Amino acid sequence: MSPARRCVSEVDTREAGREFARLLRSGDIVLLSGTLGAGKTTFVQGVAQGLGVRERVTSPTFTVVREHQCHNNLGIVTLHHCDVYRVQSLDEVLDLALGELVEEAGVALVEWGDLAATIFGPHVVRVNFAVDDDDVRVLDVDGAIEPERLAVLVEWSAT
Amino acid sequence: MKVLGIETSCDETAASVVDDSLHVYSSVVESSIDQHRAFGGVVPELAGRAHVTTIGPVVRRALEDAGLDPHRPAIDAIAVTSGPGLIGSLLVGLSAAKAYSLAWGVPFVGVNHLEGHLFAPLLERPDLAWPMVTLLVSGGHSLLVLQKGPDDHRVLGETIDDAAGEAYDKVARWLGLGYPGGPEIDRLAREGSPGALKLPVSMIGDDLDLSFSGLKTAVVRATEKQRDVALADVAASFQEAVAEQLLRKLRAALVAHDVRGVALAGGVAANSRLREGVSALANEFGIEAHLPTMAMCTDNAAMIAAAGIFRIKRSGPSSLDLSARPNWQLVDVS
Repeated sequence: MSPARRCVSEVDTREAGREFARLLRSGDIVLLSGTLGAGKTTFVQGVAQGLGVRERVTSPTFTVVREHQCHNNLGIVTLHHCDVYRVQSLDEVLDLALGELVEEAGVALVEWGDLAATIFGPHVVRVNFAVDDDDVRVLDVDGAIEPERLAVLVEWSAT
Repeated sequence: MKVLGIETSCDETAASVVDDSLHVYSSVVESSIDQHRAFGGVVPELAGRAHVTTIGPVVRRALEDAGLDPHRPAIDAIAVTSGPGLIGSLLVGLSAAKAYSLAWGVPFVGVNHLEGHLFAPLLERPDLAWPMVTLLVSGGHSLLVLQKGPDDHRVLGETIDDAAGEAYDKVARWLGLGYPGGPEIDRLAREGSPGALKLPVSMIGDDLDLSFSGLKTAVVRATEKQRDVALADVAASFQEAVAEQLLRKLRAALVAHDVRGVALAGGVAANSRLREGVSALANEFGIEAHLPTMAMCTDNAAMIAAAGIFRIKRSGPSSLDLSARPNWQLVDVS
């Protein structure tokens, strides 16, 4: 568990996402976990801004995956915004073939990723969202990734 | 001109035969919602396998109901939903349409599912007066559209986060109610007090865009803090907040645009509070309210066939390499 990043407003959560985007690398799969209304979609809207997505980023619950073209200098061309909230079985997460999707200069952010964590294994980045009694969104990050990489993400969450 | 419509974008496998006077000869809808209900939420089967088993029988029944030979039907074209929707589900309908097109030697055309919904009021009232403002609200979409004619529409506003029906489904699941969330909450709301829970009505400025994410979050937080509040009161308060936002935006659209009618479309159009509100607005503005029947509000293939008739007349048939477009937005047509 990393130190927690406290977001007191939607603006804060979006800013956290914007900053997080700068730390992403092509091929990353990031699992977002947290209860209903914890700020996952808001966070992704921030990430999308950080990656230079020009169109509106709305909930992907209905179509399960939404793809957005990015415009940045990070070598990331496509943001795959996924939501496995409606998906029933792990087989179906496999059907999404996220590993293949991110191969071509993409990153994938998966809402309700904890439901599918066993598919992705420990070697992915996880951002956990909690809500405290004062409605503050508390974000932390973990994952069995390279220590240097994790250190950078922990620094982000300590901000 | 007789057109076979095919729709498989989400839970429903549907086929219908419609002609260019918008007469509906048949409309068959097979839903997998009963399977989904057991899981307390829409469980889309990503590969669309449920559609694979139902598409053949559904098309055959639609043709037979229309008095056509199912092996070589006397139709002039096939219209199929090619987006938006679940990729696996879309592909089943699209592949079937291509196969029938080749086998029967008739052209096919890919249709936008949202454009299909806009035809629902017209199919039930072919003589309705234009222009009108349509509120299209469903599990996957929420838009306000200005329609100047059957093939002339402009998006006035849409959701910036969750769809209205999605908020219903998520709140219903949060409250431990069944799926789909709309009818459950609507039913429960009648026994509750809409003022019981203080919930925000998102207005996000003067534009005609919609937002339901904040409301969903507010319900979650409020019920966490106030555990003793009755479910019926939560349902009534939530339903009132959704309706109030939709009706305020609809009113703003009616003020800004001089129209002769106001219409509801999409699955959330079944909501009793919303239907009452739209009727009242129509009365106030002295215009007609078009509230399609449930069968026409929810996903069906008659609306796809109708949209396909206009699409093919305007821009011709699609080619066999047409791809499914899961995130296809409704674009303005004039």
